[in-house]
Amino acid sequence: MRVLLRKNPVDLLFLTITAIASATVLVLIAGILYVLFLKSSLAIEKFGILNFIFSTDWDPVRQIFGAATTLFGTAVTTILALFFAIPVAIGTAIFITEIAPNFMKGPIGIAIELLAAIPSIIYGMWGLFTLAPIMAEYIEPALQNTLGKVPLLGALFAGTPMGIDLFTASIILSIMIIPFTASIARDSFNLTPAIVKESAYAIGATKWEVVKNVILPYSKSGVFGGIILSLGRALGETMAVAFVLGNNHQISSSLFHAASTITVTLANEFTEADTDIYLSSLFYLALILFVMSFIALAVAKIFLLRAQKRYSA
Amino acid sequence: MNGLKELEAKQLNFYYSGKVHALKDINLPVYKNAVTALIGPSGCGKTTLLRCFNRMHDLYQGNKYGGEIIFKGGNILASEIDVIDLRSRIGMVFQKPTPFPMSIFDNIAYGLRIRGIKKKLELSQRVEKALNHAALWNEVKDKLQTNSYNLSGGQQQRLVIARALAVEPEVLLFDEPTSALDPISTGKIEELVVNLKDEVTIIIVTHNMQQAARISDWTGFMMLGDLIEFDKTDKIFTNPSQKLTEDYITGRFG
Repeated sequence: MRVLLRKNPVDLLFLTITAIASATVLVLIAGILYVLFLKSSLAIEKFGILNFIFSTDWDPVRQIFGAATTLFGTAVTTILALFFAIPVAIGTAIFITEIAPNFMKGPIGIAIELLAAIPSIIYGMWGLFTLAPIMAEYIEPALQNTLGKVPLLGALFAGTPMGIDLFTASIILSIMIIPFTASIARDSFNLTPAIVKESAYAIGATKWEVVKNVILPYSKSGVFGGIILSLGRALGETMAVAFVLGNNHQISSSLFHAASTITVTLANEFTEADTDIYLSSLFYLALILFVMSFIALAVAKIFLLRAQKRYSA
Repeated sequence: MNGLKELEAKQLNFYYSGKVHALKDINLPVYKNAVTALIGPSGCGKTTLLRCFNRMHDLYQGNKYGGEIIFKGGNILASEIDVIDLRSRIGMVFQKPTPFPMSIFDNIAYGLRIRGIKKKLELSQRVEKALNHAALWNEVKDKLQTNSYNLSGGQQQRLVIARALAVEPEVLLFDEPTSALDPISTGKIEELVVNLKDEVTIIIVTHNMQQAARISDWTGFMMLGDLIEFDKTDKIFTNPSQKLTEDYITGRFG
């Protein structure tokens, strides 16, 4: 502190204010984590950790709760959403950085950012009233008649297509995370030094070869970081998914089946939680989600930092 | 030693983004199996001129060429020219070493592989040959599979030269190839450039007049987009015919 005291008083005041501001953030994180722990301690005590995570029971009547069904829903929607979103996002980023004529670059970039600005409840409404009927009437029956006929793979498309299911929820989620992946991928691609791209062109590489062999390897940490960031976002997304997933605590092999995610369960069931253990189990789910998102964000940061270090070297 | 002309710029004009007139009516012969140096103050257009020879300017939108560059009897600025093919015959080395994020071997083999050469034996023979040409083979032969980023700056620049040589170009363009290197590495690159001219025609842009004097046979002096004077290097540096050239090489400006 002696160093601080030697500064002039205005500086000292400024330092103090900014230090308090940043300390607030840390205190908030710690506080939230503490409350989640405290409120879920009853459920942790009763169901344990592994037992809770792997139990498929979610039975408010018998007061037995487990996270497996919601974790399954969260995992499937997130992974499928990434599966749909990554090719579109990376394709868009490549188009914007390498292929589009200059006059198109700005408008497309802005359109993508606008996609990120749409409130998630609007995605949910659109999903319920527009996408779900289209899925139920056209897309899901078409999938059933083609891929559904393939042995083993067919199980994924079994059941009556209702449109309110894992598949529709994943598509909505994927649309929501495209902007994140695309804009981080675009920024990473732009960090590839022009001189390295030029030297690939200079030995006769085509545009596709430069993208594949130079730009993608150069920016893979950045792109991967962007993907993990989107994953974190998909894990935590609630409203859009709640509309089209159908809050059903069951694990099914079919994607055309209603399911539930952690977020959807939390959004739907707090009002119904009439016992302490029910409430505590919901907090326990929230704690698990918190930890998962935290890990995803940490991994993303590591990769993005690594990418930055490489370019500054 | 007025040999055959490998390349010739005729009434060459160039406009950046369709507006900035960067090259004005350049007429420049480039003789086969000789080193041609382009010198001049910053912003004179020497790098712009160099990048016309492999149509590097095509990568950016709105750039426009005028006039002709004759290569093997045809105009390489013509719109029907296949620039991918052109660039494999007229290679380029840049200011900074630009290895690709892959192993030493894969760097050299890259240009061959994208041309469809897949056979292991042929690849390894041509990689060895290119590395030998670039005087790098003895330093890297035991670590061909290691990442090219582990090499020193001077080694990386020779790696990049080997990569350009591997596709057996007829012309090599050097854009200030030693500006990021220490004097010892610079000496090696200069020696290499002189040795390479038996096989390829070389054009080198340099800020360093001593370098131009040491390694080139012909020198062009440029200013503000004009080619002020072109002659044998000895003549340019001992008895230039233009006052501007003399002022520049004696260090009166630039």
